[in-house]
Amino acid sequence: MRGTTRTVAVAAMSAVALLAAGCGNGGESGGSSSSAAGGQKGGEITVRGCNPQNPLVPSNTTETCGGNVIDAIFSKLVHYDAETAKPENDLAESIETTDNQNFTVKVKQGNKFADGTDVTAKSFVDAWNYAAYGPNAQSSGYFMEPIEGFGDTQCTGEGDDPCAGAGKAKAETLTGLKVVDDYTFTIKTSEKVSNLPVRLGYSAFAPLPEAFFKDPKAFGDKPIGNGPYKLDAWNKEQSIVLSKNPDYKGAFGGKVDKITFKIYQDSDSAYNDVLANNLDITDEIPASALIDDKYKSDLPDRNAQKETGVIQTITFAPTKVDPNYADPKIRQAISMAIDRNTIIKQIFNGTREPATGWVSPVVDGYKADQCGEYCTYDAAKAKALLTEAGGFKGDKITLSYNADAAHKEWTEATCNSIKQALGVDCVATGVVDFATFRSQIADRKMKGMFRTGWQMDYPSIENFLAPIFKTGASSNDGDYSNPAFDKLLTEAAAETDAAAANQKYQEAEALLAQDMPAIPMWYGKTTMGWSDKVTGVKITAFGTIDFSSVALK
Amino acid sequence: MGTYVLRRLLQMIPVILGATFLIFAMVFALPGDPLAGKCGERPCSPAYAAAFREKYNLNDPLLVQYGKYVGNLAQGDLGETYNNISVAEQLKNRYPVTAKLALISILIETIIGIAAGVLTGIRKGGFLDNLVLVSTLVLISIPIFVIGGLAQYFLGVKLALFPVTVTSSTPTVYQLLLPAIVLGSLSVAYVARLTRTNLVENLRSDYVRTAVAKGLTKRRAIGIHALRNSLIPVVTFIGFDFGALLGGAIVTESIFNIPGVGGYIFRSIRSRDGVSVVGAVTVLVIVYLFVNLLVDLLYGLLDPRITHD
Repeated sequence: MRGTTRTVAVAAMSAVALLAAGCGNGGESGGSSSSAAGGQKGGEITVRGCNPQNPLVPSNTTETCGGNVIDAIFSKLVHYDAETAKPENDLAESIETTDNQNFTVKVKQGNKFADGTDVTAKSFVDAWNYAAYGPNAQSSGYFMEPIEGFGDTQCTGEGDDPCAGAGKAKAETLTGLKVVDDYTFTIKTSEKVSNLPVRLGYSAFAPLPEAFFKDPKAFGDKPIGNGPYKLDAWNKEQSIVLSKNPDYKGAFGGKVDKITFKIYQDSDSAYNDVLANNLDITDEIPASALIDDKYKSDLPDRNAQKETGVIQTITFAPTKVDPNYADPKIRQAISMAIDRNTIIKQIFNGTREPATGWVSPVVDGYKADQCGEYCTYDAAKAKALLTEAGGFKGDKITLSYNADAAHKEWTEATCNSIKQALGVDCVATGVVDFATFRSQIADRKMKGMFRTGWQMDYPSIENFLAPIFKTGASSNDGDYSNPAFDKLLTEAAAETDAAAANQKYQEAEALLAQDMPAIPMWYGKTTMGWSDKVTGVKITAFGTIDFSSVALK
Repeated sequence: MGTYVLRRLLQMIPVILGATFLIFAMVFALPGDPLAGKCGERPCSPAYAAAFREKYNLNDPLLVQYGKYVGNLAQGDLGETYNNISVAEQLKNRYPVTAKLALISILIETIIGIAAGVLTGIRKGGFLDNLVLVSTLVLISIPIFVIGGLAQYFLGVKLALFPVTVTSSTPTVYQLLLPAIVLGSLSVAYVARLTRTNLVENLRSDYVRTAVAKGLTKRRAIGIHALRNSLIPVVTFIGFDFGALLGGAIVTESIFNIPGVGGYIFRSIRSRDGVSVVGAVTVLVIVYLFVNLLVDLLYGLLDPRITHD
């Protein structure tokens, strides 16, 4: 999140940076050339970090600052390939099912936590039960929702304490989880879930050692993981130090011995430190360096850009909140009136990819052009469509955004595009901050259109559809409801064949083009830069650093 | 003098209480819910929200929250931020860094500012005078983030004369030197101009003319008589500036990634972390009060006509 003051500062500094860039960008060039492909083993690197929002417990970490650390120190049943995001077994020997509802998981033997205890079937079952149980108040607890018995583990009360009195959760554990033997457990879901194995690579499904349950609070400060790295120290608001886990036996270990996340308040200073070789990797290139691709001349051969599982959308307020947008034709007309290519070029320096549907291209099952002509800029057609729908009834179109991050420029550009194409006034309205913005949306007080974004939790087409557009889903901000869509999702979840499931999901996605509950804007890309000391920096489909390939030169 | 100091110290108690309450009320009156952004784009689960509200007393009315806060404060407990980080711990680590930065800045601005002011004041209209006038004008008109950004890029990244960012939680004077120069640059301009204007005015006054007529050397007349009187507004400014630097080095601290208190307050306000804002600002209020007292006492030394009895 960035502040208004900061945004001004960034804008002004980019002017300075432009001047500076003009003054010559010699100095750092040359250095790298093509050194040995793999790089050395060992050594230590520093990486830009940010402050984790919660204690470092896998099931209580929903944001990237903590997530980056959690992913390095915890191995899960499934690992996502750094390049393709394809799931592959990590701790799992096998995950088998015949009906998409009863899964048998065999855990590989011989894996250990950093405190020397074994990773067993119980480590998973206990961790997942803990995550699901309402009174434990874990922020990723809802990931356990598909598992049978989830409802009974939730508090049902309302008001100040939903877990008090009659609202108390009925059960402490999930009936759908059963330990069969030391290294086997079964999962029973309440409905068919074809992509359950894909989900199991998300951090909420990490196993936890016995030590966690004895003292969760102490564990949150110094987690004991089972991943390629272990946590040595967490100096609050300063740095997080990881070192190689000597007991790690998996296939996805790292090359360097020590990783230090240095916590920066500002991406500009992290970037400058990379320029001066004081910091090895920054996963955030500041706006000032993106202008005219300045980072490419600053860091020749030392930068990378990759599409990630992030999509920016504009959602329409639910019809009962704002009836002006109820007609899908009006929604489609607005979508057609947005000149995505020009906005991306002018405002994001090409660091976004125009969206042609509601699913990110990085996931299996992605189909291009699902949105079709409605996501292609055509002012004349847009106007005609609006006239066909009887024109816009309200006095003006509004597009709300949270003013504490860099959304002002693109929302205003989007509004201008709509205004010019449709001849209806459009105003980009800033809401003071993300918290206020989200609570207005959650309370269904936000009218008009508002910006929404989605970062995938696990690489599956389902993750871009079900949580956002299924009737009553947790992130269905526009209260979209279409029985045909829901039915296709249910059918897809029951398919045992991945290709067949994907096809159902694609059919469901196609329905979104007809109803247009949200306008796809663009897919996200992550840009990184690194110092001349390191090599092999790769960006994962999640926009994070792939620590298994980073090495010193 | 003793009773004066005692009276001033006693006056601080209601001021501190009043100030903390005002800050507390204002921070909590800000719109926005600390929970809403906590779980990403999703709303938090009811159980998570309830546990969070319970832990931070968010369900209580403002006065009860404040009561609980002051109760803890009296026991030396500044509470925890919404990220579960002890505020006292953070302030203990951060205030020394900011204080060090502020002190170096003050030192730079005092020495360079007063020297420039004196030199230009006694040779009004000369080349040096014009040079200082123009350069201070430039300093005053350029925003600090531009100066900071340029200094960091050219002196840090390009020429590698100074470290680009501060990397340690106990930075050395060398690491803080560049940020301190940047931070002090604006005040240098003010101090130089204040000193110059006052000196010029005092040099024309009767008592200086008398002193010179009595046969005092020019150096003594300026140094002891005119300068001493001219420094009263300068000392007031520096005192105020020290307080401001302690609380407000937000931009400089973020450019150079200094683990000080400026960025901390800024970030805490933005993340609705009332507990840390109130804690950090309370300390700041106390520092301000003491610096003000010190400035008032310094007046007496500079001009014996000002007494505190």
